[in-house]
Amino acid sequence: MDAQLIEHLMEPKNYGSMSDADSEGIGKNPLNGEKVAIYLRVSEQDGVPIIQDIRFQAIGCTTTVVAGSMITQEAKGLDFKKADELVNTTMQFLEQISPSDAVCTEMVAIALKASMDTYRLRKGDPDHPAVTYQVQHSCTLKEGETE
Amino acid sequence: MKTLAIKIHEAWLVTLMAGLMSSTQSKHILFDFADILFRHFRWIEAEMVKAGESYDYDRDMIPIQVDKLSIILNNIIMRLNQIDLQIIGIKRELSNRMSSDLSYMREMIAHLSDEEVHAFHAKRKLEYIPLSEEATDALTLFLFEESSKEYELIMIYNYLNAHSSDLYLSRVFQDLVDESLFHLKQFGDMMAKMGILGVPKMVHKELYQSIKIEAFLLAGIDEEIAAKEECRKLSEAVASNSKELAKFFDFINNQESYHIVLMQDALAYWRSKNG
Repeated sequence: MDAQLIEHLMEPKNYGSMSDADSEGIGKNPLNGEKVAIYLRVSEQDGVPIIQDIRFQAIGCTTTVVAGSMITQEAKGLDFKKADELVNTTMQFLEQISPSDAVCTEMVAIALKASMDTYRLRKGDPDHPAVTYQVQHSCTLKEGETE
Repeated sequence: MKTLAIKIHEAWLVTLMAGLMSSTQSKHILFDFADILFRHFRWIEAEMVKAGESYDYDRDMIPIQVDKLSIILNNIIMRLNQIDLQIIGIKRELSNRMSSDLSYMREMIAHLSDEEVHAFHAKRKLEYIPLSEEATDALTLFLFEESSKEYELIMIYNYLNAHSSDLYLSRVFQDLVDESLFHLKQFGDMMAKMGILGVPKMVHKELYQSIKIEAFLLAGIDEEIAAKEECRKLSEAVASNSKELAKFFDFINNQESYHIVLMQDALAYWRSKNG
Protein backbone atom coordinates (compact mmCIF):
# COMPACT_ATOMS: atom_id res chain seq x y z
CA MET A 1 0.00 0.00 0.00
CA ASP A 2 1.77 3.18 -1.12
CA ALA A 3 1.92 6.56 0.61
CA GLN A 4 -0.34 8.25 -1.94
CA LEU A 5 -3.08 5.68 -1.41
CA ILE A 6 -2.88 6.07 2.37
CA GLU A 7 -3.10 9.85 2.04
CA HIS A 8 -6.31 9.49 -0.03
CA LEU A 9 -7.67 7.11 2.63
CA MET A 10 -6.84 9.48 5.47
CA GLU A 11 -8.07 12.64 3.81
CA PRO A 12 -10.13 12.01 0.69
CA LYS A 13 -10.00 15.02 -1.62
CA ASN A 14 -13.19 16.76 -2.83
CA TYR A 15 -15.54 14.65 -0.70
CA GLY A 16 -18.95 16.15 0.03
CA SER A 17 -21.95 17.75 -1.61
CA MET A 18 -22.12 21.06 -3.52
CA SER A 19 -25.21 23.15 -2.95
CA ASP A 20 -24.66 25.46 -5.96
CA ALA A 21 -23.52 22.82 -8.45
CA ASP A 22 -24.16 23.38 -12.17
CA SER A 23 -24.63 19.67 -12.71
CA GLU A 24 -24.81 16.29 -10.98
CA GLY A 25 -24.27 12.80 -12.29
CA ILE A 26 -24.63 9.38 -10.78
CA GLY A 27 -22.71 6.14 -11.30
CA LYS A 28 -24.51 3.13 -9.95
CA ASN A 29 -23.95 -0.55 -9.30
CA PRO A 30 -27.44 -2.10 -9.66
CA LEU A 31 -26.28 -5.38 -8.11
CA ASN A 32 -25.53 -4.03 -4.64
CA GLY A 33 -27.06 -0.54 -4.58
CA GLU A 34 -23.69 1.22 -4.30
CA LYS A 35 -23.48 4.56 -6.04
CA VAL A 36 -21.36 7.63 -6.58
CA ALA A 37 -22.65 11.16 -7.16
CA ILE A 38 -20.40 13.78 -8.74
CA TYR A 39 -21.18 17.49 -8.57
CA LEU A 40 -19.58 20.01 -10.91
CA ARG A 41 -19.22 23.77 -10.93
CA VAL A 42 -18.48 24.72 -14.51
CA SER A 43 -17.21 27.86 -16.22
CA GLU A 44 -16.96 28.38 -19.97
CA GLN A 45 -14.05 29.79 -21.93
CA ASP A 46 -14.79 30.49 -25.60
CA GLY A 47 -17.73 28.09 -25.35
CA VAL A 48 -15.59 25.32 -23.85
CA PRO A 49 -16.83 24.06 -20.46
CA ILE A 50 -14.16 23.79 -17.78
CA ILE A 51 -14.48 21.99 -14.43
CA GLN A 52 -13.92 24.79 -11.92
CA ASP A 53 -14.77 22.74 -8.88
CA ILE A 54 -15.83 19.18 -8.21
CA ARG A 55 -17.22 17.17 -5.29
CA PHE A 56 -18.25 13.58 -4.91
CA GLN A 57 -20.22 11.47 -2.48
CA ALA A 58 -20.29 7.71 -2.30
CA ILE A 59 -22.49 5.01 -0.92
CA GLY A 60 -19.82 2.39 -1.15
CA CYS A 61 -16.60 0.98 0.16
CA THR A 62 -13.20 2.47 0.88
CA THR A 63 -11.93 1.67 -2.63
CA THR A 64 -14.73 3.79 -4.11
CA VAL A 65 -13.74 6.72 -1.90
CA VAL A 66 -10.08 6.40 -2.87
CA ALA A 67 -10.98 6.20 -6.58
CA GLY A 68 -13.29 9.21 -6.17
CA SER A 69 -10.58 11.18 -4.43
CA MET A 70 -7.99 10.40 -7.13
CA ILE A 71 -10.20 10.89 -10.18
CA THR A 72 -11.84 14.11 -8.97
CA GLN A 73 -8.40 15.49 -8.14
CA GLU A 74 -7.30 14.71 -11.72
CA ALA A 75 -10.48 16.18 -13.20
CA LYS A 76 -10.40 19.50 -11.36
CA GLY A 77 -9.42 22.30 -13.76
CA LEU A 78 -9.80 20.18 -16.92
CA ASP A 79 -11.96 21.20 -19.86
CA PHE A 80 -14.68 18.69 -20.79
CA LYS A 81 -12.66 17.28 -23.69
CA LYS A 82 -9.75 16.41 -21.43
CA ALA A 83 -12.14 15.16 -18.74
CA ASP A 84 -13.75 12.85 -21.35
CA GLU A 85 -10.25 11.55 -22.13
CA LEU A 86 -9.70 10.97 -18.41
CA VAL A 87 -12.90 8.91 -18.29
CA ASN A 88 -11.84 6.87 -21.35
CA THR A 89 -8.32 6.26 -20.03
CA THR A 90 -9.76 5.16 -16.70
CA MET A 91 -12.18 2.75 -18.40
CA GLN A 92 -9.32 1.18 -20.41
CA PHE A 93 -7.34 0.70 -17.20
CA LEU A 94 -10.09 -1.35 -15.52
CA GLU A 95 -9.07 -4.66 -17.11
CA GLN A 96 -5.70 -4.43 -15.38
CA ILE A 97 -7.05 -4.28 -11.82
CA SER A 98 -9.02 -6.64 -9.59
CA PRO A 99 -12.79 -6.97 -10.27
CA SER A 100 -13.78 -5.26 -7.03
CA ASP A 101 -11.36 -2.36 -7.61
CA ALA A 102 -12.54 -2.15 -11.23
CA VAL A 103 -16.22 -1.84 -10.39
CA CYS A 104 -15.55 0.86 -7.76
CA THR A 105 -13.32 2.84 -10.14
CA GLU A 106 -15.78 2.45 -13.01
CA MET A 107 -18.57 3.80 -10.80
CA VAL A 108 -16.59 7.03 -10.27
CA ALA A 109 -15.60 7.35 -13.95
CA ILE A 110 -19.18 6.96 -15.21
CA ALA A 111 -20.45 9.37 -12.53
CA LEU A 112 -18.04 11.99 -13.92
CA LYS A 113 -19.26 11.26 -17.44
CA ALA A 114 -22.88 11.43 -16.23
CA SER A 115 -22.28 14.79 -14.59
CA MET A 116 -20.71 16.25 -17.74
CA ASP A 117 -23.60 14.86 -19.82
CA THR A 118 -26.10 16.43 -17.40
CA TYR A 119 -24.35 19.77 -17.96
CA ARG A 120 -24.51 19.35 -21.74
CA LEU A 121 -28.22 18.39 -21.62
CA ARG A 122 -29.06 21.32 -19.37
CA LYS A 123 -27.81 23.69 -22.07
CA GLY A 124 -30.99 22.79 -23.95
CA ASP A 125 -33.19 22.00 -20.96
CA PRO A 126 -32.15 23.73 -17.70
CA ASP A 127 -34.43 21.41 -15.69
CA HIS A 128 -32.98 18.20 -17.06
CA PRO A 129 -32.60 15.67 -14.21
CA ALA A 130 -29.23 14.28 -13.24
CA VAL A 131 -28.01 11.60 -15.65
CA THR A 132 -27.37 8.13 -14.17
CA TYR A 133 -25.19 5.41 -15.69
CA GLN A 134 -24.79 1.84 -14.50
CA VAL A 135 -21.52 -0.05 -14.22
CA GLN A 136 -20.73 -2.78 -16.72
CA HIS A 137 -18.20 -4.59 -14.53
CA SER A 138 -19.05 -6.92 -11.69
CA CYS A 139 -17.39 -7.50 -8.33
CA THR A 140 -17.64 -11.24 -8.94
CA LEU A 141 -14.45 -13.01 -9.96
CA LYS A 142 -14.45 -14.74 -13.33
CA GLU A 143 -13.10 -18.27 -13.56
CA GLY A 144 -9.35 -18.29 -13.07
CA GLU A 145 -9.24 -14.70 -11.76
CA THR A 146 -7.80 -13.76 -8.39
CA GLU A 147 -8.11 -10.58 -6.33
CA MET B 1 -31.38 25.60 13.76
CA LYS B 2 -30.12 23.73 10.71
CA THR B 3 -26.88 25.72 10.59
CA LEU B 4 -26.48 25.31 14.34
CA ALA B 5 -26.87 21.54 14.03
CA ILE B 6 -24.23 21.39 11.27
CA LYS B 7 -21.78 23.43 13.33
CA ILE B 8 -22.30 21.26 16.41
CA HIS B 9 -21.93 18.11 14.30
CA GLU B 10 -18.59 19.38 12.96
CA ALA B 11 -17.39 20.52 16.41
CA TRP B 12 -18.31 17.11 17.87
CA LEU B 13 -16.21 15.31 15.25
CA VAL B 14 -13.22 17.66 15.59
CA THR B 15 -13.28 17.30 19.39
CA LEU B 16 -13.50 13.52 19.10
CA MET B 17 -10.57 13.52 16.63
CA ALA B 18 -8.57 15.79 18.97
CA GLY B 19 -9.17 13.27 21.77
CA LEU B 20 -7.85 10.53 19.52
CA MET B 21 -4.75 12.61 18.68
CA SER B 22 -3.88 13.26 22.31
CA SER B 23 -1.56 10.92 24.20
CA THR B 24 -2.04 12.55 27.61
CA GLN B 25 -4.81 13.04 30.17
CA SER B 26 -6.29 15.65 27.80
CA LYS B 27 -7.61 12.71 25.77
CA HIS B 28 -10.29 11.94 28.37
CA ILE B 29 -11.34 15.58 28.76
CA LEU B 30 -11.71 15.89 25.00
CA PHE B 31 -13.68 12.64 24.79
CA ASP B 32 -16.03 13.89 27.51
CA PHE B 33 -16.49 17.19 25.68
CA ALA B 34 -17.12 15.36 22.42
CA ASP B 35 -19.86 13.39 24.22
CA ILE B 36 -21.41 16.65 25.48
CA LEU B 37 -21.38 18.11 21.96
CA PHE B 38 -23.01 14.97 20.59
CA ARG B 39 -25.78 15.38 23.18
CA HIS B 40 -26.19 19.03 22.13
CA PHE B 41 -26.50 17.80 18.57
CA ARG B 42 -29.23 15.33 19.55
CA TRP B 43 -31.14 17.96 21.50
CA ILE B 44 -31.07 20.41 18.61
CA GLU B 45 -32.13 17.61 16.29
CA ALA B 46 -35.07 16.82 18.59
CA GLU B 47 -36.07 20.50 18.44
CA MET B 48 -35.94 20.43 14.65
CA VAL B 49 -38.06 17.27 14.51
CA LYS B 50 -40.57 18.85 16.90
CA ALA B 51 -40.71 22.00 14.77
CA GLY B 52 -41.11 19.94 11.58
CA GLU B 53 -37.95 21.48 10.14
CA SER B 54 -36.30 19.49 7.37
CA TYR B 55 -32.62 18.74 7.89
CA ASP B 56 -29.86 16.36 6.97
CA TYR B 57 -26.42 15.35 8.23
CA ASP B 58 -24.47 17.06 5.42
CA ARG B 59 -21.41 18.92 6.65
CA ASP B 60 -18.17 20.41 5.39
CA MET B 61 -14.97 18.47 4.98
CA ILE B 62 -12.98 18.67 8.18
CA PRO B 63 -9.19 19.01 7.83
CA ILE B 64 -7.52 17.70 10.98
CA GLN B 65 -3.91 16.98 10.06
CA VAL B 66 -1.81 18.96 12.53
CA ASP B 67 1.54 18.39 14.20
CA LYS B 68 0.69 20.21 17.45
CA LEU B 69 -2.45 19.60 19.50
CA SER B 70 -2.75 23.34 20.25
CA ILE B 71 -3.65 23.99 16.59
CA ILE B 72 -6.69 21.73 16.74
CA LEU B 73 -7.59 22.97 20.25
CA ASN B 74 -7.67 26.57 18.95
CA ASN B 75 -9.79 25.37 16.06
CA ILE B 76 -12.26 23.79 18.51
CA ILE B 77 -12.45 27.01 20.55
CA MET B 78 -13.19 28.95 17.35
CA ARG B 79 -15.93 26.45 16.47
CA LEU B 80 -17.44 26.67 19.97
CA ASN B 81 -17.49 30.49 19.65
CA GLN B 82 -19.33 30.17 16.35
CA ILE B 83 -21.87 27.80 17.92
CA ASP B 84 -22.45 30.23 20.79
CA LEU B 85 -23.29 32.97 18.27
CA GLN B 86 -25.79 30.67 16.56
CA ILE B 87 -27.81 29.71 19.63
CA ILE B 88 -30.91 31.64 18.76
CA GLY B 89 -34.50 30.62 18.28
CA ILE B 90 -34.37 27.62 20.59
CA LYS B 91 -36.05 27.25 23.96
CA ARG B 92 -34.39 29.23 26.74
CA GLU B 93 -33.61 26.31 29.05
CA LEU B 94 -31.71 24.57 26.28
CA SER B 95 -29.86 27.67 25.09
CA ASN B 96 -28.85 28.46 28.69
CA ARG B 97 -27.56 24.95 29.19
CA MET B 98 -25.65 24.96 25.90
CA SER B 99 -24.13 28.39 26.51
CA SER B 100 -22.98 27.33 29.94
CA ASP B 101 -21.42 24.12 28.55
CA LEU B 102 -19.72 26.00 25.72
CA SER B 103 -18.27 28.58 28.07
CA TYR B 104 -16.88 25.90 30.40
CA MET B 105 -15.46 23.81 27.56
CA ARG B 106 -13.74 26.83 25.96
CA GLU B 107 -12.15 27.73 29.29
CA MET B 108 -10.93 24.18 29.93
CA ILE B 109 -9.66 23.60 26.40
CA ALA B 110 -7.72 26.89 26.48
CA HIS B 111 -5.80 25.52 29.47
CA LEU B 112 -4.93 22.10 28.07
CA SER B 113 -1.20 21.55 27.57
CA ASP B 114 0.19 21.46 24.07
CA GLU B 115 1.61 18.17 22.80
CA GLU B 116 3.15 16.81 19.65
CA VAL B 117 0.71 14.88 17.49
CA HIS B 118 1.82 11.57 15.96
CA ALA B 119 -1.52 10.51 14.54
CA PHE B 120 -0.72 11.36 10.89
CA HIS B 121 2.81 10.09 10.17
CA ALA B 122 1.39 7.14 8.19
CA LYS B 123 4.12 4.76 9.44
CA ARG B 124 1.43 2.14 10.14
CA LYS B 125 3.31 0.51 12.98
CA LEU B 126 1.93 -0.43 16.38
CA GLU B 127 4.36 -0.18 19.26
CA TYR B 128 5.62 -3.61 20.41
CA ILE B 129 3.43 -5.38 17.83
CA PRO B 130 5.36 -6.46 14.74
CA LEU B 131 3.03 -7.18 11.82
CA SER B 132 3.80 -8.49 8.35
CA GLU B 133 3.17 -6.17 5.40
CA GLU B 134 0.12 -8.23 4.45
CA ALA B 135 -1.35 -8.07 7.96
CA THR B 136 -0.61 -4.33 8.15
CA ASP B 137 -2.43 -3.70 4.84
CA ALA B 138 -5.39 -5.83 5.95
CA LEU B 139 -5.56 -4.00 9.28
CA THR B 140 -5.30 -0.60 7.56
CA LEU B 141 -8.19 -1.32 5.21
CA PHE B 142 -10.25 -2.82 8.03
CA LEU B 143 -9.80 0.28 10.19
CA PHE B 144 -10.77 2.73 7.43
CA GLU B 145 -13.72 0.61 6.36
CA GLU B 146 -15.01 -0.06 9.86
CA SER B 147 -14.47 3.44 11.30
CA SER B 148 -16.55 4.84 8.42
CA LYS B 149 -19.13 2.12 8.97
CA GLU B 150 -19.41 2.85 12.71
CA TYR B 151 -19.87 6.58 12.02
CA GLU B 152 -22.49 5.74 9.39
CA LEU B 153 -24.33 3.52 11.90
CA ILE B 154 -24.20 6.23 14.58
CA MET B 155 -25.85 8.69 12.20
CA ILE B 156 -28.44 6.24 10.84
CA TYR B 157 -29.52 4.91 14.27
CA ASN B 158 -29.50 8.45 15.61
CA TYR B 159 -31.80 9.60 12.80
CA LEU B 160 -34.10 6.63 13.33
CA ASN B 161 -34.15 7.36 17.05
CA ALA B 162 -34.95 11.04 16.48
CA HIS B 163 -37.96 10.05 14.38
CA SER B 164 -39.19 7.17 16.51
CA SER B 165 -41.98 7.50 19.03
CA ASP B 166 -41.71 3.85 20.05
CA LEU B 167 -39.96 3.45 23.40
CA TYR B 168 -38.74 -0.08 22.76
CA LEU B 169 -37.21 0.70 19.38
CA SER B 170 -35.76 3.95 20.73
CA ARG B 171 -33.92 2.05 23.43
CA VAL B 172 -32.47 -0.40 20.89
CA PHE B 173 -31.45 2.42 18.54
CA GLN B 174 -29.80 4.31 21.40
CA ASP B 175 -27.93 1.16 22.52
CA LEU B 176 -26.66 0.71 18.97
CA VAL B 177 -25.58 4.38 18.77
CA ASP B 178 -23.67 4.00 22.05
CA GLU B 179 -22.03 0.77 20.91
CA SER B 180 -20.94 2.29 17.60
CA LEU B 181 -19.59 5.37 19.39
CA PHE B 182 -17.42 3.05 21.47
CA HIS B 183 -16.23 1.12 18.42
CA LEU B 184 -15.48 4.33 16.53
CA LYS B 185 -13.30 5.46 19.45
CA GLN B 186 -11.54 2.10 19.63
CA PHE B 187 -10.80 1.95 15.90
CA GLY B 188 -9.87 5.65 15.85
CA ASP B 189 -7.46 5.10 18.72
CA MET B 190 -5.71 2.33 16.81
CA MET B 191 -5.61 4.47 13.65
CA ALA B 192 -4.03 7.33 15.61
CA LYS B 193 -1.40 4.95 17.03
CA MET B 194 -0.63 3.73 13.50
CA GLY B 195 -0.44 7.34 12.25
CA ILE B 196 -3.41 7.00 9.87
CA LEU B 197 -6.17 8.90 11.64
CA GLY B 198 -8.86 10.28 9.35
CA VAL B 199 -12.33 11.79 9.75
CA PRO B 200 -15.01 9.29 8.67
CA LYS B 201 -16.64 10.27 5.41
CA MET B 202 -19.92 12.16 5.39
CA VAL B 203 -22.99 9.92 5.28
CA HIS B 204 -25.16 10.20 2.18
CA LYS B 205 -28.68 11.34 3.13
CA GLU B 206 -30.23 8.54 1.11
CA LEU B 207 -28.91 6.11 3.73
CA TYR B 208 -30.99 7.56 6.56
CA GLN B 209 -33.77 9.70 5.09
CA SER B 210 -35.43 7.11 2.90
CA ILE B 211 -34.82 4.14 5.12
CA LYS B 212 -37.05 1.08 5.23
CA ILE B 213 -36.56 -0.26 8.74
CA GLU B 214 -37.15 -3.95 8.04
CA ALA B 215 -34.78 -4.07 5.04
CA PHE B 216 -32.24 -1.96 6.91
CA LEU B 217 -32.23 -4.28 9.94
CA LEU B 218 -31.96 -7.37 7.74
CA ALA B 219 -29.03 -5.88 5.81
CA GLY B 220 -27.52 -4.68 9.10
CA ILE B 221 -27.57 -8.21 10.53
CA ASP B 222 -25.78 -9.49 7.40
CA GLU B 223 -23.20 -6.70 7.69
CA GLU B 224 -22.57 -7.49 11.34
CA ILE B 225 -22.04 -11.14 10.46
CA ALA B 226 -19.54 -10.05 7.78
CA ALA B 227 -17.82 -7.70 10.26
CA LYS B 228 -17.56 -10.54 12.77
CA GLU B 229 -15.88 -12.67 10.11
CA GLU B 230 -13.42 -9.84 9.35
CA CYS B 231 -12.61 -9.57 13.07
CA ARG B 232 -12.10 -13.33 13.28
CA LYS B 233 -9.76 -13.30 10.27
CA LEU B 234 -7.79 -10.35 11.66
CA SER B 235 -7.58 -11.99 15.06
CA GLU B 236 -6.13 -15.12 13.43
CA ALA B 237 -3.77 -13.11 11.21
CA VAL B 238 -2.25 -11.19 14.12
CA ALA B 239 -2.45 -13.91 16.82
CA SER B 240 1.09 -15.15 16.24
CA ASN B 241 2.48 -11.60 16.47
CA SER B 242 0.33 -10.18 19.21
CA LYS B 243 -1.97 -11.91 21.66
CA GLU B 244 -3.11 -8.47 22.85
CA LEU B 245 -4.30 -7.43 19.38
CA ALA B 246 -5.92 -10.82 18.79
CA LYS B 247 -7.81 -10.42 22.08
CA PHE B 248 -8.97 -6.95 20.99
CA PHE B 249 -10.49 -8.31 17.79
CA ASP B 250 -12.12 -11.20 19.67
CA PHE B 251 -13.57 -8.63 22.08
CA ILE B 252 -15.00 -6.55 19.20
CA ASN B 253 -16.22 -9.73 17.53
CA ASN B 254 -18.17 -10.73 20.65
CA GLN B 255 -19.67 -7.26 20.92
CA GLU B 256 -20.87 -7.56 17.31
CA SER B 257 -22.66 -10.78 18.33
CA TYR B 258 -24.82 -8.83 20.73
CA HIS B 259 -25.53 -6.16 18.09
CA ILE B 260 -26.99 -8.93 15.99
CA VAL B 261 -29.23 -9.97 18.90
CA LEU B 262 -30.36 -6.36 19.39
CA MET B 263 -31.18 -6.02 15.70
CA GLN B 264 -32.95 -9.38 15.59
CA ASP B 265 -35.07 -8.32 18.59
CA ALA B 266 -35.84 -4.98 16.94
CA LEU B 267 -36.75 -6.77 13.71
CA ALA B 268 -39.10 -9.21 15.48
CA TYR B 269 -40.70 -6.33 17.39
CA TRP B 270 -41.10 -4.25 14.20
CA ARG B 271 -42.71 -7.17 12.40
CA SER B 272 -45.09 -7.85 15.29
CA LYS B 273 -46.19 -4.20 15.23
CA ASN B 274 -46.41 -3.87 11.47
CA GLY B 275 -47.76 -7.25 10.47
